[in-house]
Amino acid sequence: MAQESELAAISVRNLSIQYGDFAALQNVNLDIPRNQISALVGPSGCGKSSFLNSLNRLTDLIPGCRVKGEVIFQTQNLTDSKHDVLSLRRQIGMVFQKPNPFPQSIRRNFEIPLREHGFSKKECRDRMVEALTQVGLWEEVSDRLEKGAANLSGGQQQRLCIARALALEPEVILFDEPCSALDPIASAVVEDLIVSLRERVTVVIVTHNLAQARRIADQLSVFWVRDGSGTIVESGDAGEIFQSPSDPDALNYLCGARG
Amino acid sequence: MAAVLSVGALLWIVLDLVKMGTSQIDWEFLTSGVEESGRAGGIGPVIKSTLLILMCCLLVAIPFGVGCAFWITEMVSPGSRLTAWLTRSVDLLASIPSIVFGLFGMAFFCRILGLGFSILSGGLTLACMILPILIRTTLAAVQSLPPDLRLSATAMGLRKSTILSRVLLPRAFPGILIGFTIGVARALSETAALIFTSGYATRSPASLLDSGRSISVHIFDMAMNVPNGATRASASALVLLLVILMINYLANYFSDQWLKKVN
Amino acid sequence: MFRHRNDRGLKWLLSGVALICGSLVIGIVGFLLVEAWPVFSSGQIFAFFSDGAWQPGSDREPQFGITPMLLASLAVTLLATALAVPPGILAAIFQIYYSPKWLATFQDRAMELLAGVPSIIFGFWGLTVIVPIINQIRPPGQSLLAGGIVLGLMILPTVSLTTRAALQAIDRSLVYGGAALGLSRPRQIFSIALPAARSGILSGCMLAMTRAIGETMAVVMVCGNIAKIPHSIFDPVRPVTSTIALEMGYATEGHRSLLYAAGFVLVVLTGFLLLLRRREPVL
Repeated sequence: MAQESELAAISVRNLSIQYGDFAALQNVNLDIPRNQISALVGPSGCGKSSFLNSLNRLTDLIPGCRVKGEVIFQTQNLTDSKHDVLSLRRQIGMVFQKPNPFPQSIRRNFEIPLREHGFSKKECRDRMVEALTQVGLWEEVSDRLEKGAANLSGGQQQRLCIARALALEPEVILFDEPCSALDPIASAVVEDLIVSLRERVTVVIVTHNLAQARRIADQLSVFWVRDGSGTIVESGDAGEIFQSPSDPDALNYLCGARG
Repeated sequence: MAAVLSVGALLWIVLDLVKMGTSQIDWEFLTSGVEESGRAGGIGPVIKSTLLILMCCLLVAIPFGVGCAFWITEMVSPGSRLTAWLTRSVDLLASIPSIVFGLFGMAFFCRILGLGFSILSGGLTLACMILPILIRTTLAAVQSLPPDLRLSATAMGLRKSTILSRVLLPRAFPGILIGFTIGVARALSETAALIFTSGYATRSPASLLDSGRSISVHIFDMAMNVPNGATRASASALVLLLVILMINYLANYFSDQWLKKVN
Repeated sequence: MFRHRNDRGLKWLLSGVALICGSLVIGIVGFLLVEAWPVFSSGQIFAFFSDGAWQPGSDREPQFGITPMLLASLAVTLLATALAVPPGILAAIFQIYYSPKWLATFQDRAMELLAGVPSIIFGFWGLTVIVPIINQIRPPGQSLLAGGIVLGLMILPTVSLTTRAALQAIDRSLVYGGAALGLSRPRQIFSIALPAARSGILSGCMLAMTRAIGETMAVVMVCGNIAKIPHSIFDPVRPVTSTIALEMGYATEGHRSLLYAAGFVLVVLTGFLLLLRRREPVL
């Protein structure tokens, strides 16, 4: 166990998520390895997004949502209600399906979170430049930092969101279908960017695009609905699972998409 | 035809006021003191009292209104009993006739708190009256914001207070401004709630604890209690109407500008 | 570590603010009851509703009947509603289904403007324009009719704006469906659109009535202020709100309590209208 959690950035044990009486997710166990890309796939409504949201406690925002089980991150259990969620969310960043920069200037998009976490104006600027450079956006926007982020294209906005998450230097970044709202070209740019992030952060990505999962994932987990609630039916090395899934549902799902 | 009728009525009212009032209004009228119960002199002190009453009212009503709306959106889960209770009492508050606010203000602010007939009592009474407007408009403005704004801010580990002040408030500002305008217009036009709380005095108020008549009370008094006061009253009425129009226009203008700047 | 302090302070602050806002209405009604208590405890409450006249100041034989005023309030409100609702609804229909865009925008502005005109100005205008006209038909001019006309104009924008909102909110395909069946435009509007928007329109009318019944200054100025049961629309009347406004200035002890009781009656009336409004969408 100790050995495992050294390798894993996040270890999930017996996780269940309930919305009122409805159990969205039951008995999920998963180790998310450090500096790899873990992809979560499966049909809609099988709890992938709920799972993702429980990793940075965004589930707190949903009324009537209860999370049971353990999520071990840096030897601490995240589901503990006393855990400091603010610093947790700084360490585990998130990028959403729809690009959602704050509708203010590009600079403010960095300043708001960075100032909150105690950085000086100077550090804000340095980190902004560094993060924008990493996502390849610096050249494109360096002359209009004071302009509204809403004027950027969809792909640029999504890269801005990724840069904004990177600027906080998180350990893990969660991606919730980051490419599904983008056109194919922008989608390819963002996908390449995610692959390049692997060296510095752990990536967890929910995607409906199996081709994308096949291209980028190191680890793959297939979610499925069993007995009315979602769970993981197959999990492990992405290449192996795509080759020969052992679970029949996973087989159908992956092959159906293949054919 | 019905449309013509209603628009016609509006024009009729405005034109009447303009016809009777314009000749009376000049700088002198706006600044000099009230003489002979208003038949001579101007409305300087009346304007001063009105502004002071308005200031008291807004200073209290805005923090409470905006705070209450944010409590509903941020601090309690939607659909909870507390929210239901609060929205219901705000609805009821909004339906209470202004004269009843006057009765309450007279009993509570004037007598029990011992503020007497004063600008402060009047302002506080008006604050109670426009509170539901501010709460509702702020609520509508915040609730119409895209939910992922709040989501992404939370995902970055921002505190609620930061999310409120740096992310939500700037976006909701135009909506809040509209509520502010409606509130100001209501407060300026209110008469019934002020007669028994801030009184009739025509002299220039020296402090917030002095009595002072607002412009709408002045119009009322001139029209009802002062023989031959009608022309002077229409001048005051015209001033009031113009101010309200101007506030409406400015609020629209500023919220447009704000939206442009933000996007 | 100041920066990472939790949000507890903010939470307490906002909770306190919300508590005060939510309790305000309870406080107001409570105050009315406390101030009106002598009326209830001395049994005057029966006289309040049974006495036929209102002479609370009289030394010899004081009478405390609120009935004439209550009837006046209701009569003025109903008259105003009757006068405002048809043109208000028609104006909204015209705006949505018939008028060209520029005219609709203009109408919008005009309605918003009319809604923003202070009631005191409506009252003043009624006093200087409407009352003399009625006076020529039948003196004294200050009358139930004058109150109805002035209030009617005042609530017209409320009716029109809420009707417009209700009509805009209904599913467009309903109307298209009617058109596809070959119904004429007026048929589409009156048989399909209006019934579909009924609850919204009714709730707008209730809102307008709430405004009318609570209005004080406009009616004080044009209604004539004589506390008798009216026999025709040309009779002067005195609604509850006017009574409070006119007598509060000099009322003492028992009289004062009566006025607070009258205020309480007003709150009950408007609260009742609010309940009707709330129930309507469920029907």
